[in-house]
Amino acid sequence: MFLKTTNAVITVVAGVGVAVAVYWILNKIAELLPGRWEDRIKPYLFILPAYAAITLYLIYPSILTFIYSFKDSTSTEWVGFDNFTSLLTSHEFQQTLVNTLLWMIIVPIFTVAIGLAVAVLSDRLGPRGENISKTLIFMPMAISMVGAATVWRFLYAYRPPGQEQIGLQNALVVLLGGKPVPWLQQDQFHLNSLLLMVMLLWAQIGFAMVLLSAAIKGVPVDTLEAARIDGAGERQIFFRVVVPQIKGTIITVFVTTLITVMKIFDIVYVMTNGNFNTNILGVEFYNQLFTNFNNGAAAAIVVILMVAMAPIMIYQVRNFKAEEAA
Amino acid sequence: MRVHKRGVKALTAVAAMALGVSGLAACGGGSSSDDKTVEIWMSVDQPVFDGLKKSMTAKAKKAGITVKMSKVTDINSLIMTKIQANDAPDIALIPQPGVVANIVKRNKAIALDDVISSDAKDSMLGGALEAGTFNGKLYGLLSSANVKSLVFYNKKAWDKAGYKAPTTIDELDALTDQIKSDGGVPWCFGIESDTATGWPATDWFEELVMKYGGADGYNDWVTHKTKFDSDLVKQAGEEFQKLVLTPGNHIGDGKTIASTNFGDAENSMWKDKPGCWMLKQGTFITAFWPEDVVKNFSKDVGVFGFPSATSGEKAPVLGGGDLAVLLNDNASAKKAMQMLAETDTGDDAAKNGSTYLSPHNDFDSSLYVNPVIKAADQVVKNGSGLLFDGSDQMPGEVGAGSFWKQVTSWITGQQDLNDTLKNIDDSWPSS
Repeated sequence: MFLKTTNAVITVVAGVGVAVAVYWILNKIAELLPGRWEDRIKPYLFILPAYAAITLYLIYPSILTFIYSFKDSTSTEWVGFDNFTSLLTSHEFQQTLVNTLLWMIIVPIFTVAIGLAVAVLSDRLGPRGENISKTLIFMPMAISMVGAATVWRFLYAYRPPGQEQIGLQNALVVLLGGKPVPWLQQDQFHLNSLLLMVMLLWAQIGFAMVLLSAAIKGVPVDTLEAARIDGAGERQIFFRVVVPQIKGTIITVFVTTLITVMKIFDIVYVMTNGNFNTNILGVEFYNQLFTNFNNGAAAAIVVILMVAMAPIMIYQVRNFKAEEAA
Repeated sequence: MRVHKRGVKALTAVAAMALGVSGLAACGGGSSSDDKTVEIWMSVDQPVFDGLKKSMTAKAKKAGITVKMSKVTDINSLIMTKIQANDAPDIALIPQPGVVANIVKRNKAIALDDVISSDAKDSMLGGALEAGTFNGKLYGLLSSANVKSLVFYNKKAWDKAGYKAPTTIDELDALTDQIKSDGGVPWCFGIESDTATGWPATDWFEELVMKYGGADGYNDWVTHKTKFDSDLVKQAGEEFQKLVLTPGNHIGDGKTIASTNFGDAENSMWKDKPGCWMLKQGTFITAFWPEDVVKNFSKDVGVFGFPSATSGEKAPVLGGGDLAVLLNDNASAKKAMQMLAETDTGDDAAKNGSTYLSPHNDFDSSLYVNPVIKAADQVVKNGSGLLFDGSDQMPGEVGAGSFWKQVTSWITGQQDLNDTLKNIDDSWPSS
């Protein structure tokens, strides 16, 4: 233990020291150049380590993943588009895509809608009530996803009829005289997927609420007063005055949640492992890589995800830039 | 000029620091640099681990090497990651032949044919070597076994009702019907197991395929020479359906089975009037039982081996275990491998009452303390050999994927048997 701690401390100190030294040297190198050139080159030299890190940890693996998606399960032989065709023609993978799409549509919309509702309603409360309700809703953000998913499993837990129900939902059903329901296996209308989404909503709404609440508080009061004087109702004020002014924040929350959802893995992995038609891309990727040891299929899934995510990222960056400029 | 000099100095300092950091990283990596030290990883139960460690440490001392044994979790995916990072231990005990096959496929395992003496090989239980043999060479040596062809029952209630252990599958059918007509539920059955939901059902397929098709039929099925969509597997599936899945033969319906944890399925078996009467499971299941049942095992629990298809026939026994794989080609590691292959390496693990079951014919059965293991040992001795769990031998896509999932869908009533078997065939990887 002592050895490990010292090791860690030395690593941190040395790491920071090296970083400082690298920048110091880069600075010195720049200073060696004649005056005007020093100023021209210095910014590029300073950003160089950051670019190098991004290239090493992000771009290089991405390119490698792209290449592996055209190779076989051990990444030794080229197989062309086989990984993609075998994935896309399998019924199970199509269902996985449908499920992922459902997650992508439902979760961001509800996160924004409910987050906005909570932000507006709590804004109407007194300062104490507002603080308490916001704290309660924000709290789930502090719990790790795996921990939360384990807890939520108990909510949906099922025991055969006759045995004591340990799941909250089934305990209620039995109390009301019904028969216990294996919730996570109800795949009609993707009910079980929806039940899993509820958990993510529970965890994400706090985040949406905080951002949206701040935005609402930032809406200038005089615009509201002007609307009131002009005779607008509360509903009109909200949709025509408040919402347009916080549109940027709404889009940011929507896109951030969307990206979270596209990468989601832990909830489904812990609660069903993709069984009972609840599979999503993240879990499928994990299973391809760590259960099937199929590098090719796993890489292909990641490529599909990257392609799907790219336009959203580009939109997000543009939106961000437009906001900055405004 | 002064500036220049300082630059050089700083460069030297940075280089020194960088060296220091990489040196530290190497220390933290924990790869055995010392040729006399052999690193062995396994994921067996703690008591089994303790027993094996005791024996191995004593043997290593005599041989003048050091063994560093570690118990790790999730060894199947961990070992593949470590192998790809070239940071693997010298020996790993892997519970899934499918994973061993993947290591062999990547050319990272060392063949054991010349490492293990022929005496040691001859002492292995029938079928034990085949599970670790790939492309005609031995890569995985069974080091500790478990048996799955066991049916447990509540002894007191059973004796009171006057039931007798069946010796053929027909008799098992008759017994099941009798329990049902006496007003009982014949089978305890649950297949929920977190991310591995479905495996207890695949055990039933394996058991019945093995009993109907014999060792050859079973091995052909495991290697996909016989398809899932074949008469043999269909016969097994239909018998399983008739015995266990018929309404009234288990508690609740198909969805109940899929959401009952395999460790909870037999909870009601221990009552004076059992909620269900029979449980087909492996030796490891006792870890999930109430403490007082395990304590009074020989008084409260009865066990019989899963019966053979025809009477008087010596049938293969379904089991599993941990396969030792040699990952580094050096003399000390080979020495440690030979030590693992020695029959008496299991002595301490048997004596401490763990669930260790020796894969050797010549193991001294009187050393076993654990009553479940004693019973399992008898079942193995009465059988024609130990065949390794089929789903563990199949490629991961099937054995740890579609086989579990498709059978779960079948049991919950989402599809019929024919579609289930066809879907599994479709998921079999082409290469």
